[in-house]
Amino acid sequence: MLLGRLLLRTSAVNKMVSRNAYTASKPDPSKPNMLRVGLAFGSTAVLWALLFKQHSTDVHEYKTRNGLE
Amino acid sequence: MGLLPDEAKRLPPPGIVNRNSVWLGLCGWATGMLHNSLNRRPALKAGVHRQTLFITVGWFIGYHLTKYENYKYATLDRDMNEYIRLHPDEFQEKERRTFAAIVEPFHPIR
Repeated sequence: MLLGRLLLRTSAVNKMVSRNAYTASKPDPSKPNMLRVGLAFGSTAVLWALLFKQHSTDVHEYKTRNGLE
Repeated sequence: MGLLPDEAKRLPPPGIVNRNSVWLGLCGWATGMLHNSLNRRPALKAGVHRQTLFITVGWFIGYHLTKYENYKYATLDRDMNEYIRLHPDEFQEKERRTFAAIVEPFHPIR
């Protein structure tokens, strides 16, 4: 909460909100683009799964190459 | 692994939680929060999907960076030890004298 309070200073730095020049409507925070949100969370999950898989592969490789299994 | 040769697989892999991952994850979070605040949105509560994505990308890059760093340091150590092994005359043990041998006996004059 304190961190959010500290970052409020940027509203003094940047008073101009820019938006895409090719769209007619302003970005509306109360209506999230669920496709984009879903893709973001989905790719987050995929990246974590890849990371854990890569880690377990590495551990297995290490053990077999050094004969610890 | 694209940048690492096969022999790098002999090294112990870094843990999921490692220094580079934590740091890059924090950098990703800071990027997300800065993006929010420069667009005049509440810094921590807006765009949680964006924040988690940036943290994850940072964490992922950090893990592979740690693997690469471990391999580089391991090759440097191997080269250094090989050099020491091939040039023993440059790395002789110096004979050490203790302070007891150098220091003169103390006679306090009170």
